[in-house]
Amino acid sequence: MVEINSNELTDAEAEQYDRQIRLWGLDSQKRLRASRVLIIGLKGLGAEVAKNITLAGVKSVTLLDDDVATQEDICSQFLVPRDQIGRNRAEASLGRTQNLNPMVNVTSDTTAVGDHPDEYFHDFEAICATKCSTDQLLRLDKICREKSIKFFCGDVFGFFGFMFADLQTHDFAEEITERKPSSSEEPAAKSLKTVKTTVKRSATFVPLQNALDVDWTVEPYSKKLKKSEPSYFLMKILLKFRSEKKRDPAPGTRVEDMEELLKLKKEVLKEMSIPLEKVPDNLLSLVFAEVGPVCAIVGGVLSQEIIKALSQHEAPHNNMFFFNPERNLGHVECLGA
Amino acid sequence: MAASIAGVFTDELKNAVETSKVLVVGAGGIGCEILKNLVLSGFKDIEIIDLDTIDVSNLNRQFLFQKQHVGKSKAVVARESALSFNPDVKIVAHHDSIIKPGYSVNYFKQFGMVLNALDNRAARNHVNRMCLAADIPLIESGTAGYDGQVELIKKGMTRCYECTPKAAQKTFPGCTIRNTPSEPIHCIVWGKHLFNQLFGEYDADNDVSPDTEDPEAAGEAGESALKSNANEQGDIERVTTRQWAQQSGYDSTKLFHKLFHDDIKYLLSMHNLWEKRRKPTPLKMDELPDAVAGSSKDNSSEGLKDQRPWSIVECGQIFSRSLQSLKNKFEKLQSKNKDDHLVWDKDDKDAMDFVAACANIRAYIFGIPQKTRFDIKSMAGNIIPAIATTNAIIAGLVVLNAFNILQNQFERCSSVYCRLQPNHRGQLIVPERGLIPPNTSCYVCRDSPQITVCVDVNKLTVKELEERVLKSLLNMVQPDAMKDSTGDVVISSEEGEMEGTYHKTLAEMGILDGTVLSVDDFVHNYSLRVIINHKEAEHNKPDIEIVGDQSQCQPKAEEKSNGGAGEKAEEDDDDLMLLDEIEESTSVNMERKRKQDTATESPVSKKPRTSDVIVL
Repeated sequence: MVEINSNELTDAEAEQYDRQIRLWGLDSQKRLRASRVLIIGLKGLGAEVAKNITLAGVKSVTLLDDDVATQEDICSQFLVPRDQIGRNRAEASLGRTQNLNPMVNVTSDTTAVGDHPDEYFHDFEAICATKCSTDQLLRLDKICREKSIKFFCGDVFGFFGFMFADLQTHDFAEEITERKPSSSEEPAAKSLKTVKTTVKRSATFVPLQNALDVDWTVEPYSKKLKKSEPSYFLMKILLKFRSEKKRDPAPGTRVEDMEELLKLKKEVLKEMSIPLEKVPDNLLSLVFAEVGPVCAIVGGVLSQEIIKALSQHEAPHNNMFFFNPERNLGHVECLGA
Repeated sequence: MAASIAGVFTDELKNAVETSKVLVVGAGGIGCEILKNLVLSGFKDIEIIDLDTIDVSNLNRQFLFQKQHVGKSKAVVARESALSFNPDVKIVAHHDSIIKPGYSVNYFKQFGMVLNALDNRAARNHVNRMCLAADIPLIESGTAGYDGQVELIKKGMTRCYECTPKAAQKTFPGCTIRNTPSEPIHCIVWGKHLFNQLFGEYDADNDVSPDTEDPEAAGEAGESALKSNANEQGDIERVTTRQWAQQSGYDSTKLFHKLFHDDIKYLLSMHNLWEKRRKPTPLKMDELPDAVAGSSKDNSSEGLKDQRPWSIVECGQIFSRSLQSLKNKFEKLQSKNKDDHLVWDKDDKDAMDFVAACANIRAYIFGIPQKTRFDIKSMAGNIIPAIATTNAIIAGLVVLNAFNILQNQFERCSSVYCRLQPNHRGQLIVPERGLIPPNTSCYVCRDSPQITVCVDVNKLTVKELEERVLKSLLNMVQPDAMKDSTGDVVISSEEGEMEGTYHKTLAEMGILDGTVLSVDDFVHNYSLRVIINHKEAEHNKPDIEIVGDQSQCQPKAEEKSNGGAGEKAEEDDDDLMLLDEIEESTSVNMERKRKQDTATESPVSKKPRTSDVIVL
């Protein structure tokens, strides 16, 4: 860990972060290097987020997980060395995460999320929760709301994945590109020239509870239902599976888990008054373990949202992102607002 | 590994993953991420190739590399790091160029698929042709900042990399660079040309002295200017900039005076140029202004060192200092080998300082806003910003498409685009609707392709036909060409065979308007009929135009201006790509070149294409 006292970037930082400073600017980089990020859950998605956030050059990354790395993790968890399967995931991921960027202070924490008092979470600018129960997510979002901490959560189930963000009221700078006639006197350069201007904007987010409680039988959602992706409903089924079984669908118990998923699908969709065909059964067969490339995709989007929020640069996605593996489609939807 | 755990993949996919052999071309930002995804997914037989070595500026995203690896082979270190994720994989690393002849069509044929993670158009063109020749599916990918794309290329099924003309490489007319700059970029290009004139590979096309043939200056002005100039110097012979510099012993004061005073005075004497333009102000080294344009000195302590604006006095000092350092390096090289020269590199401190100082001094003279060294480096070095997240997303999509290919589900491999903001349908990762079929008039992937080339047959030499047309514009590696009607060999890939006639013009070789050449490139297993169309060369107009198989001469892809401002593509070390068309403006800032709404609903018209390098 390099000790950084000044507000200015060191030459080493300027060199290492050159290609991203040229994209998001020096001010964004300075905001990142003042930010402390908590990553909860160090399976495949958590590992991708830890990698991207550490590479970006935040002040500190805390890896929190009370569980041990399992054989299944090798599908996507590249931060845990193979000979450390069986060890606590956060601890086992620490070395490789730190090696990604010695200028970031990386620590691990093996406490269960539920065992930490609210105050524990106050020391972060952003919290990213994966592999949590719905109850835990709602508690974390509430704590974040009270202290204006940027809250993110997301999960990957097999080939499927999603994320949610609650940035409360979020101010950011956005670069607007306009085409204006070129001022050049050259007759040859008579064409349009793009001019970039930065504008200050603000966005308002809703709590996670609102996004999870959307009623698709009333407007405006009822109007969108026909065209909507199955992803939201699939997420609801999977979160219900996690709450009831205290675990996720697993490849080792694939047959019985499929049966359970089909049962939960009927329950969940019936409760929401959604036709059963909205979630095709074959989608349910794609949700086992965490598939590496999908962790990379969802983790890439989730990390970029954390970076955007912390640097207050570019408009955030408000408030959910879903990846549908059947079509290679990633879409953003504002739910519960 | 996913494939080794029962129940993650279907049996079909599991078996295909475990038995297929893949080639990853490039171990940069996307390549590192692809390699990670491949080993985590359970691929067991992988080759990776990259000719590059690791630089500090890679470390923000090329996560298989760390500081202690700087200077080492990317392919070799990427292999070592990926093996630590999964020691049971066979990974072969090549620290090499994929364009080398050893990587033949037969070499490509051993793979089930090829995954491109490249950063330049030349290599993309080459791998495209190799995969077409070997009939191997290719997944092409690229990123630029927040944007990225993934595309399947399969012979006969999809368009190939060269089916769509790539955005023209930006060039500037020689007289704009030499006589009438109006934008910072013109001064930066001039600065790079000056570097080459003094220390680099000599290129008569990239002169930096006033251009007396500027059509705008129109006759008399240039003539009288030449006379007055001759009187002043007492020497009517014009010498090259390098000769002049060498004669003066690279004396910085003398050189400064010639470049920024005498040459400017000379330009002023070409009165027609300044009728509607602001006149340039000649500068003397001992009278340089101390003020920093556009900023008070107080706020100059903020920001990166490179982002602090320089005063013109400072520019003069940096000019002198970097000139002397470069002179010493140059003379050292030349003392070993008289033909050796420096190569401009944005990461070489003196070379970068020199261009930044010269560009700003010239900008000041012409009343053009000056730029910081940071900005000049972006523009002069064609730096494409690059971040870990976009590369991760794109590499994830690449490997998902690899799964589709393994299951013979090509129809699911439609092109995918990644954007900064969702499109009007809320799509952030946007798949095309269906595959895009080949362009039936593509001069690369269609059957019996042909192309028309417009050149001045009385000026273009056989050597230029080979180097500039066949190799540079048509991306061939080792072409053989013969006249279709007679079978006479014009260009031979056998070294030395045709050397005697290489300096001859096409007309002297009997290649005239309408002559058809049969061109073969055995490296790509590729044949092309080239129809020569005669067109008289004009000052400051492109002297070579490629027009597909239409009959009239219209520019299609890259062109090179004969005014000499055209620069060769220079690639940065990133997985770069340029979405959509390049606009006509003279700015080279990559980010501005993206048309923001590259929505892809209509696969036929408004879609973005993979292209890449931008050129000053």
